[in-house]
Amino acid sequence: MEQGKQQLLCAAGIDVEEALGRFMGNEALLLKFLLRFPGDDTFSRLRQAMEARDTTRAFEAAHTLKGVVGNLSMKELHGRLVPLVEALRAGDADAAAENWPALEAAYGKTLAALERIT
Amino acid sequence: MYDSGENTLLIVDDEEINRAILANLFESEYKIIQAEDGQAGLEAIQTYGEELSAILLDVVMPRLSGMELLRQLSRQGLTTRVPIFLITADVGGATMQEAYGLGVMDVIFKPVVPYVVQRRVNSVVELFCARRRLGAEVERQRDQLLFQTQQLAEMGMGMVEALSTAIEFRSDESGEHVRRIHDITCHLLRTTPLGEGLPDDQISLIGVGAITHDVGKISIPDAVLNKRGRLTPEEYELMKTHTIKGAELLSKIPQMREHSAYHYAYDIALHHHERWDGGGYPHHLVGNETPIWTQIVALADVYDALVSKRCYKDALAADVALEMIRTGQCGVFNPDLLACFQQAEPYLRSFYRTAKGA
Repeated sequence: MEQGKQQLLCAAGIDVEEALGRFMGNEALLLKFLLRFPGDDTFSRLRQAMEARDTTRAFEAAHTLKGVVGNLSMKELHGRLVPLVEALRAGDADAAAENWPALEAAYGKTLAALERIT
Repeated sequence: MYDSGENTLLIVDDEEINRAILANLFESEYKIIQAEDGQAGLEAIQTYGEELSAILLDVVMPRLSGMELLRQLSRQGLTTRVPIFLITADVGGATMQEAYGLGVMDVIFKPVVPYVVQRRVNSVVELFCARRRLGAEVERQRDQLLFQTQQLAEMGMGMVEALSTAIEFRSDESGEHVRRIHDITCHLLRTTPLGEGLPDDQISLIGVGAITHDVGKISIPDAVLNKRGRLTPEEYELMKTHTIKGAELLSKIPQMREHSAYHYAYDIALHHHERWDGGGYPHHLVGNETPIWTQIVALADVYDALVSKRCYKDALAADVALEMIRTGQCGVFNPDLLACFQQAEPYLRSFYRTAKGA
């Protein structure tokens, strides 16, 4: 991967080396899923469920998102998702809400980095 | 299948990125089949069955969850034939325990670490392949053993027949006598009510016993065995001992004693000169004290002696022989046996025509 792109992604908390390893060095395949990430509706489903304080649906969305984020080695975003998923798993809407702003910020940062590499 | 040369891997996961990562990881070594939820996974398993080398199974999926699919496969016993790996983001201890209990080979956590998944999956697939190969090898060897056992049994039979025929040659009889006694005995047991309740393999063993009925004659001196005139009372007594000597001889051959035909052969050698009214020898058994199969051999022996040329007599016509037997000139036989014999007799004549023609 180009040096510049890799630095941009790393700055947004994405461990590009690790992600490439998971895709067996298949850069095209990794990029395909990285660039698809902004269009994925899981995050907006999560936001709607959080606004409705529906912990069940929010948990499902957060869980799915955590899986994708983990696969793409988005370390910062993953770190923000873990406490949210656990709060939702416990059905604790307040604790989940406390974690929301930091997650939203990390998500925005990730999306901005992805936009710059396209 | 294990010998098709190509390994097939089924990936069941509702997330495309998960399937893509696993497919990318294994596509150089396996033919990859993907299913996007448990239901599609079940359908793929029904299509490919045991052609699958392994199944990688996600847990949380719509329609049919990984655990529910696993429970179904476990009930069908598939988990022992195809290795299943649970690939999951986070499992509680209880889920993991149930999964192992249902027969998964391993639980692998997402996000996956490539070389860990590869190593774990490949070594289990190799193990299952080796197990199938060994199973096939054991089966092949068992077939071979069965074949060799059968060959040995046939060779043993050949030896018994050769020995019996050799003994008969001493008394100027052709080897056809034992063959015919065998054929007549088996024919009566297979085609008349006399053999009712006797399975075919037992009838074959009785046939073996019929072949050795006269082995005791080996102990009778040539002068008596081949005497052209009438035997003196002393000579006759000596001649009669061929029954006891025959049984004794058979009991002294360990291979014979362990043969499944032994108890038939022993009784036939000993009692094939007994008669229905107790007028036979050596034990003067009466009626069904002599087993039916030995009674049949006794009758076949008499009939064959009458219609064949012997050193002391010419061959008689079949009608004459039958009449002599019916009227008790060769001792008294079981009336039921006589009735069956009389019915079958016209067919028995064909054994002789073939023998002469040959």
